[in-house]
Amino acid sequence: MKIPFKKKNTEKEALEKVLSKSNDYKNIHFTNEKTKVEFYLTFIASLTDEKIIHKEALPYLLHGELYNLDDVPELITIAETEISTNPKDIELKLFNGYVLVQVVGNEEQLCFFAAQREVGRSIGVPEVEFSVIGPKEAFVESMKQNLNLVRKRIPVKELVIEELTVGKISKTKVAIIYLEEITNQENINTVRQRLQDIDIDGVTDSSFIVQIISDNQNSPFPQLLDTERPDRVTASIIEGKVAIIVDGSPHALIGPTTLVELFSSFEDYFLNWIVSSFFRLIRLFAVTFSILVTPIYVATLSYHYELIPRDLLSALVASRRAIPFPPILEALFLELTIELLREAGARLPTKVGQTIGIVGGIVIGTASVEAGLTSNVLLIIIALAALASFTTPVYRMGNTIRLLRFPFLLFAELWGLVGIVLSFCIMLTHLIRLTSLGRPYLEPLYPPRRQDMKDALIRLSFKNQAKRPVFLRSKHPSRLDERDAKQKQDIDE
Amino acid sequence: MKWVHKILVIASIAFFLNGCVKKEILDDINLIEAIGFDYAGDGNTSGTILYPIYQPDQPPENKTLTAKALIKKSILQDIQLQAANPIVTGSMEAVLFAKELATKEGVLELIDAFQRDPGVGSGLYLAVVDGEARELMDGNYGVRGNATFISNLLENNIENEDLPKTNLQKFLFSYYQEGQTPFMPQLKKISDEKIELNGVCFFKHGKVVETISSDQMFFFRLLVDKYSNGLHRVKIKDGEAAVRSIRSTHNFDLSKRSPLEITVKIKVQGIVNEYTGNEVKPEQIKQLENAFGEEIKKQSQELVDIFKEQKIDPVGFGHFVKTRKRKYDLSKWLESDLKNLTVKVVPDVTITEAGVIE
Amino acid sequence: MSVSIPENKKISPFLVFFVVQKMQFGIGILGFQRIIAKTAGYDAWISIILAGIAVHIVLWALFKMLETVNGDMISIHTFVFGKIVSKIFGLFFILYYLLLTVTVIRTYVEIVQVWMFTDLTTFWFSLIFLIVVVYIIFGGFRTVTGMAFFGIVLPFYVLALFLFTLPYAEFDNLLPILDHSISDILLGSKNMSLTVLGFESLLIFYPFIKDQKKSKKWAHLAVFSTTMIYVYLAILTFAYFPENQLQKNIWPTLTMWKIIMMPFVERFEYIGIANWCLIILPNASIALWCSSRIAKRLFSIKQRTTVPILAFICLIATSLLFTRKQVNLLSDLVGQIGFYLNFFYFPLLLVATLIAKKVKKNEVGS
Repeated sequence: MKIPFKKKNTEKEALEKVLSKSNDYKNIHFTNEKTKVEFYLTFIASLTDEKIIHKEALPYLLHGELYNLDDVPELITIAETEISTNPKDIELKLFNGYVLVQVVGNEEQLCFFAAQREVGRSIGVPEVEFSVIGPKEAFVESMKQNLNLVRKRIPVKELVIEELTVGKISKTKVAIIYLEEITNQENINTVRQRLQDIDIDGVTDSSFIVQIISDNQNSPFPQLLDTERPDRVTASIIEGKVAIIVDGSPHALIGPTTLVELFSSFEDYFLNWIVSSFFRLIRLFAVTFSILVTPIYVATLSYHYELIPRDLLSALVASRRAIPFPPILEALFLELTIELLREAGARLPTKVGQTIGIVGGIVIGTASVEAGLTSNVLLIIIALAALASFTTPVYRMGNTIRLLRFPFLLFAELWGLVGIVLSFCIMLTHLIRLTSLGRPYLEPLYPPRRQDMKDALIRLSFKNQAKRPVFLRSKHPSRLDERDAKQKQDIDE
Repeated sequence: MKWVHKILVIASIAFFLNGCVKKEILDDINLIEAIGFDYAGDGNTSGTILYPIYQPDQPPENKTLTAKALIKKSILQDIQLQAANPIVTGSMEAVLFAKELATKEGVLELIDAFQRDPGVGSGLYLAVVDGEARELMDGNYGVRGNATFISNLLENNIENEDLPKTNLQKFLFSYYQEGQTPFMPQLKKISDEKIELNGVCFFKHGKVVETISSDQMFFFRLLVDKYSNGLHRVKIKDGEAAVRSIRSTHNFDLSKRSPLEITVKIKVQGIVNEYTGNEVKPEQIKQLENAFGEEIKKQSQELVDIFKEQKIDPVGFGHFVKTRKRKYDLSKWLESDLKNLTVKVVPDVTITEAGVIE
Repeated sequence: MSVSIPENKKISPFLVFFVVQKMQFGIGILGFQRIIAKTAGYDAWISIILAGIAVHIVLWALFKMLETVNGDMISIHTFVFGKIVSKIFGLFFILYYLLLTVTVIRTYVEIVQVWMFTDLTTFWFSLIFLIVVVYIIFGGFRTVTGMAFFGIVLPFYVLALFLFTLPYAEFDNLLPILDHSISDILLGSKNMSLTVLGFESLLIFYPFIKDQKKSKKWAHLAVFSTTMIYVYLAILTFAYFPENQLQKNIWPTLTMWKIIMMPFVERFEYIGIANWCLIILPNASIALWCSSRIAKRLFSIKQRTTVPILAFICLIATSLLFTRKQVNLLSDLVGQIGFYLNFFYFPLLLVATLIAKKVKKNEVGS
């Protein structure tokens, strides 16, 4: 194919030099039937929908009254057209699925029209944060669709969707979503600033963003909430948080977040407050149990036999009698086995994964007890701890919980219960120091805020949730307009 | 900054080598569940430890080790010479003293070791053995091991029957309390599978000076425990009844200051468990109440007389006087003042139920 | 002479409650009963109340001083004595808080050594402990306060566990009330005051409080609640032990735990001792923070440099104390210094401050 413009369009020339190596680069010459105006269509075939070009553009360009480039937007039936003289636009637009129209003789002016090919799966059911009741929509990879899911839930003009591009090579589109009248400006600025400051070549998922912009990158705790549920994003935005949606990622990010929020499932809001409070407490117990139970086992068996109730003593000693290893090795062996199973299950296709679970759980478990490698008491404990760690509704948090167990184990082996408390202190200090977008991470536990406690370890009824969380420093602290105070009536009045 | 890393690595290695503390892994130690002391003549004491060997799906096997020593505190070290694993005291449930030892040598020195040991709990049971402690520990009682059997026996008798509350803390409490002397329950081996609680021993300066039978235990408990329960047989004209005291309280009152007189009001609420007569009518109940009251009065008085005679004060009358009289000097209490004390017992028995049969 | 602290580094007034109470409630609670009963016998609970009242008065004096100069201890000293003297006094206080840190850590290590691990090396434990302390202080005063907060809230259940001793309690032990002379009781108060010291750290963190006027109420409430907790514990202890037995136990609180038995835990004192780690960690942090803060105010050295250095000094000092005698000597020394500071020096300082204020006012006036 011959290069048509030699003089001024060096920009395009340079582009063409590289692009002509790619097969999907098309630069096609046409002539209008009526006016005999010659023009070129340039596009990347893999990004554009050829149906649009054939149906919406080409017939009009070939048979319509095309005299010069300014006629193009009027002729074709595509709304998104643009005339530009900036040659730098060429690369940007071409790679966003636009088609470039150039008329021979008028090389300076460029006309683009949109003909993106929309590839992507349809909206599915949330898989990571599945809930039995409540909406079943989940985000997909396409940002357009994701934004649609959010926008249609908040149909007000105050909802702002700011778009940025991140990544030198990947040019990923990132949207910041917030409510103009409600969200604290400082939070928005922090997010915007941090996103703009990202200096990386490629971003393929929101998890890249979360790792780069979190306050302390050396912390195992996730400092932004990631969710695949549009309803959760919507609720968070209305609460006054900032959401980030990354093109190509089915997970939105929400910030600032707190530790307790990472332990609350969105399903909690679908259930009655008494029931959901109960579930939250169970989850809290499960997490504590999961982190502490193996270390406590190691500590008591290695150092504090005095603590063991006398009725349990015989069961414990009898089960440990044939085991050649000290408790720490026994515990590490089983913990690592469980981690191995989980990792293997996660890497394999679902059906094989299930088999692995059964093989691991039943065969390895019983076999190692029978072989005298581990005690059956510990096997129960570890299996329960693993089960408990899966109750965390946020997947990232579950990983953290499982990791946390190991430093605790180490300290338990070292100094028994004192070691466990010491490592707990270290964790606590770390959590107190941690911030999410500059807001305290442990809130409302510390700094203690009574108002935010209403939706923390337990969740009180919506009637009690008339205020937005304090830590968000919202511009509009009250969720409701001035309400008529209901006077308490006496019985039978 | 490389040297910083080097130092860190060296420090953490040193830390894991030196920072560790000695372990007591549960299955690599011998858990003493009970320890018994016998008199071995010539000022020697022999100690026997009882440790279980736990087996899956079976009752634990009772193992004993014995050693003799002149210095009482070194007995454990001497036993250690015979044991393959370190002997630890942390889960001890009972300590037994042979009566001969407790009478001749005293138990204070031995108890002091347990009081000092941070591993020994305060809920430890102490008991005197009528006979040899070693022999008693060699039996085979119950499915959960000998020590558990002994401690359950005592616990059950405290909770449901006549034995006054007792354990290491109670013993130390009354030992250290001015104007009070300690006591211990007394056990006796009947056969290879049976132990019996057959009385209470009273101590003075750490030595047994007096023992009461299990029949008197009920009345002793009424005096010494604020709240108690127990079972006692009462005879009346029409027959004999077993009265279970559900809830008894006692109340001390310093009724006269000089000469000292203490009024002990004992309130017993009971039910009739068995009755050998024909009918239980309000009349009989009244009679039972009176007879029971009379017996309480009589028996308590007898106990107080024993205390006065032996110059002991397990109830703590002296302490009571001290709390009611400012700057009261207790130094001569046991020797002289106790004798001049008058104790008046005022029983108040109410029988509320007579079972489901009318 | 006022000190400006950025708003986001300050703490809410009600958190003062936790910092003040934390400093009063630490390692001393494990063994104070014996010390106060030495002179005042079982009337010592009156001594505690008297000591509490005295603390309230001193606290009032501290607030009065701080309000007058609107700064911290260094500003008060500069205001009254001038710059050079205030530097010397400041050095003394740095040392005082260092000693306090050392005492807290060393006493805890001793308890662990006696009750749990006879062969625990003081050096390695103190090293890890101090690393955590430094980590806390690096988080700023808000983190220190946070640890103080959790150091009170999380182990609070322990107070309820003391009720397990009730079946063995003989409240008659407390009778007859006022069986000891007033001077004995006052001596008991003096001994008690050693355990409730530490609230004077208010002099240093005062500029870090957001709404300083409001914090007064909380500080007093903290002192009141500490006094109540001590009275509660003392009464339970006195009922549990006869006087002679109490005198035999160095840590009566721990001995009391030995009777606690729950279906899932046979013995509580081991959990309790481990838990105490969480209680004394904030104490050491506050003390070391105060020390480094004074250093910063005096010589404008960054806390980031002073804290590790001071922690290192503490580490050396704690490892050099071997016997119980030395530990006792140290804690007695710190107690005595603290006692005279709080109950003699600070009231005098208040008088001096008020005079200085008057004089300066007159100077300005004329």
